[in-house]
Amino acid sequence: MRAQLFATRLFVVAILAVTSTATAQTTNDLFEPGTLNDLRLFMNSRDLQQLRDTFEENTYYQADLEWRGIRVRSVAIRSRGHATRDPVKPALRIDFDRYVDGQRFLGLKSLMLDNLWQDATLVRESVTMALFTKLGQPAPREAFTRLFINDVYQGVYTSVEAIDSDFLSRAFGDAGGYVFEYQWQSPFAGEFLGQSLQPYKVRFKPESHALEDDTSLYSPLHDLFLEVNQPESATWRESVERYLDIPGFLTHVAVETFVSELDGLLGFWTMNNFYVYRPTGSTRHYFLPWDRDRSFQTIESSVMLRADENVLLRRLLEHPDLRAFYLQALETCAGVASQNGWLEQEIVARADLIRAAAYADSRKSHSNEEFEGEIGFLQTFARVRPGIVLAEVERLKREP
Amino acid sequence: MICKALAVIGVMTLFLSHPSSAQETTTQPAERPEKADTTKKEPEKTDTTTKEASSDATKREWRLSWENRPSVRYGDLVRIDVRARFIGDVRGSDASLEESDTSRLDIARRRVGATGTIARVADFQIERELASARGWRDVYVNYRGFDHVDIQGGQFKLPFGLDENTSSANLDFVYRSRAAALSPGRDPGVMAHGRVRTLHYELGLFARDGDNARGNDTQRVSGGWTAAARLVAQPFRSFTSVLEDFQAGVAYTSSDVPAGIADLRGDTAFGQPFFRPEFAVQGTRQRVGLEMRWRPGPFSMQSELVRLSNERRGQSVEDTDLPPLVATAWYVHGTWLVTGEQKTRGADEPRRPLFGGGFGSVEIAGRVEAVRLSSIGTGLPSRGPRAETILPHSDRVVTLGVSWSPNRWVRVQANLVRDTVSIPAGAFASGPFVDGTSSSFWSRVVRFRFAM
Repeated sequence: MRAQLFATRLFVVAILAVTSTATAQTTNDLFEPGTLNDLRLFMNSRDLQQLRDTFEENTYYQADLEWRGIRVRSVAIRSRGHATRDPVKPALRIDFDRYVDGQRFLGLKSLMLDNLWQDATLVRESVTMALFTKLGQPAPREAFTRLFINDVYQGVYTSVEAIDSDFLSRAFGDAGGYVFEYQWQSPFAGEFLGQSLQPYKVRFKPESHALEDDTSLYSPLHDLFLEVNQPESATWRESVERYLDIPGFLTHVAVETFVSELDGLLGFWTMNNFYVYRPTGSTRHYFLPWDRDRSFQTIESSVMLRADENVLLRRLLEHPDLRAFYLQALETCAGVASQNGWLEQEIVARADLIRAAAYADSRKSHSNEEFEGEIGFLQTFARVRPGIVLAEVERLKREP
Repeated sequence: MICKALAVIGVMTLFLSHPSSAQETTTQPAERPEKADTTKKEPEKTDTTTKEASSDATKREWRLSWENRPSVRYGDLVRIDVRARFIGDVRGSDASLEESDTSRLDIARRRVGATGTIARVADFQIERELASARGWRDVYVNYRGFDHVDIQGGQFKLPFGLDENTSSANLDFVYRSRAAALSPGRDPGVMAHGRVRTLHYELGLFARDGDNARGNDTQRVSGGWTAAARLVAQPFRSFTSVLEDFQAGVAYTSSDVPAGIADLRGDTAFGQPFFRPEFAVQGTRQRVGLEMRWRPGPFSMQSELVRLSNERRGQSVEDTDLPPLVATAWYVHGTWLVTGEQKTRGADEPRRPLFGGGFGSVEIAGRVEAVRLSSIGTGLPSRGPRAETILPHSDRVVTLGVSWSPNRWVRVQANLVRDTVSIPAGAFASGPFVDGTSSSFWSRVVRFRFAM
C-alpha cells in the first residue's frame, strides 16, 4: 500500500514536472517552420528490431521521447503510413496517452513523424501545407526534425501535428467535433456507395467519437454523397451545402491543383490523403489536407486535370458562380505564390535549413544529387507555375 | 443435460453402494498408510487387508478383483488399479463468464488412468484427460528401493504448493486457491523425495516451470529448466497428541525465462481474467512458498503464502533492468466434518454411507484469500509493456462451501464465492473489468463428482 502511494505521488510529480517544463515551450516552438528540431526516442533494442522487421504492422512499442530537455516517458510509438512505410527509415506515430492516462506533450495527445520517403527534396509537404495555411485553409502544422533513436541518427523527418481533437480545438475551436481519416480502399471519386453505411465505415476511420454507433458516425457522410449524386434541381445546391463546406472544398482543390498534387482529392488514384471534419451538432463536412509529399509534379498540368473524374468537383463546377469561385481561388494561389517570390523563398529557405541534415541522412530514399536537382526543379516550378495557371484561368474565364 | 448427468451419477451411486458398504464393515483399516496424506502423488494404497487377499498375494497368477475399484494383480509382484473420474459443474456468476462457461451442467472432466506397484519397489501412475486437449496428466514411475530416498521420474506436479499438490479428489473446495494458480503445476522431470525423521523432502529438476502459467498463447514466454524443492516438517509426528498431524513447510522454484512477453496472468476463481497484460520479462523466475496444515479430529485448517517474482533484465526502453514483476497470493481455510469423520482419513470416506445405514459425510468449509500482481518499482506507473511500475491488480476472495459425500465414490460440493477485483486507474484492464474500479460480485458453483 505504501509503495502504491509512493508510486502515485511520484507519478503526479512526474506529470507536473513534464507539464511545468513544458510551459516554457509550446507547440508553436515545436512547429516553428524556421527551426530544425532534434527529437530523440529511446526504445528497447529488441523493440526497435521488431519494429523494423514488422514495419507493415501497427504494433505499438513503448519509448521515451526527449526534446529540448523535456523527456516524456512511456509514450507509445508505431509504424505508420501506406506507401511510405519503410523498415530502414520508419514513419512513426507517437501517442502520449496510450500507456499513461492523460499524459500530454506540450498539450498534444499524438505526434506524427513523417519520413518524407517519397520526396527527394524533403520539402514538398512542408511547402504545400504552408500554402494551404497562407490561403486560410486549416492544415496541420509541421516542422523539420532530426530524429535520433537510441542516439543513432535516423535522418530528416517532419514532425506533423496529428489531426485529432487537439487540432480541431486549435483550428476550429471545436475539440468535440467529429474527425475521420480517409482510408483508401479502392478507387472512389465521390460516387454514391449505396444505402448501407458499411462502405463509408471502411473508408472513413473515426479519430474521435470512435465508440459512437455507426448511425451517428456515418449517416451524415452517407447523406453527403447521396445528395451530391442527386439529379440537378432547384434544391440540389441547398441540399449539398447542408453537408459540405463548398468554399473550403473548392479552395482545397484549387491549392492541390496549383501545386500539381498527384495523390490528393483529384489524385491519379482518385481521392486520397485527406481528413474530414464535421462540427459538433452539424452535418456539414470540411476537407482537410494530409500527406502532401507528391505535390509539385508537373509545371504545365492543367487546372482542370481530372476535374471531370471527381463527382463533387464536377457537380459543383456546373454552377457558374462556383466555377468562378474555383478559378478565383486558383488566381489567389498564383498571386500568393508569386508575390515577392514567396513560394520560391519558402522552398529555398527550407532547403537551406535542412541541407546539412539531409546530406547526413544516409537512410533517405534519394541521393544528395537528386535532392539538389529536385530542389532546383521546385524553384523553377515556383517561378513558372503561377504564370501558367493564370493564363489557363484567364482562358477558362472567357469560355462560356 | 443436467438430468442426464444426475441420472448417470445416481445409477453409479446405487450400483456401487452395496459392495462398498459390504467392504467397509469387514475391511476397515486401523490406519491408512501415510495417515491418508492427501497431498502427494504417492499412489493410494489399498485399504483391503483381508486374509483372503493376503493369501492370494503369494499366488503367482493373474487375478482380477474389486478393491473399491477394478484391480489386476499378479501375485505380489504386480498390482494395477484402474482409476476413473467424472466431474460436472453447474455454475453462474454476476461477472460475465465466457459464453461456453455460462450456467449449465457438463461433464467437464473425464479422466481415466491406472495406478499400481511393480515388484514392491516401484509405484506408477498414468492418467489421461479425455475431455480437454491437455491429454496426459500424471505419467510417472516412482522407485522406492532405497532406504531414505525415492526417485520419481516422468510427468507430474512440481513439488511446490500444498493446495496445488492436493489431489483434486481431496479438495475442500470446488476450485483451488489463487495461491495454487501461482504454483507451477505439471511438467516432465525427475525428483528425489523421502522422509528423514520428521522431515519430508522433495528435490526435483523439471523441463519447464509447470503448466499453470502457460496459456494458449504460444507467443508468450515461460520458464525453462526448473529446479524445485519442498521441505515439510511434521514435528509432532511421533507423539500421540492433537498436534500429531500438524505440518509446516517451505518450497522454492527457480527457472530462467527467455526474453518475451510474460505468461503470468491473474484470473478470478471462475477464470475471468483481470490481469493479462503484455509485460516484457527476461531472467530468473523464482517462487517462494510457505505452507501450514493442521487436522485435529473432524476439523482442519490450512494456510499458504506464495510469492512469485520474475526478473526483467534489459527490458527498459534503454535496455537497462526494470524492477521485477511480482505476484503474491495467500489463503487461510478451515473445514469441519459435521458428521464427525476424522479429517485425516478424508471426507470421502463416510462412517455411515448412504444406503449403508447412514447419510454419508457432510463438511462445511470457508476460505479467505487474495492475490496481488504488480512490480517492485517506484517510477512512473504506466500500461506500457516496459512499465517501470506496474500498478497493483488484486482479487480478494471469500469462499463458503458445503460438501456431501454419500459414499466413497460420489461427492457433491456447493460453493458460494465473493470476488472483489481492484484495478487502479491507469492500469491494464482485462476481461470484463475496467480500470479505476473495484468490482465485487458473487459466483456460485455446484460440482458433481464420481471417482474410483
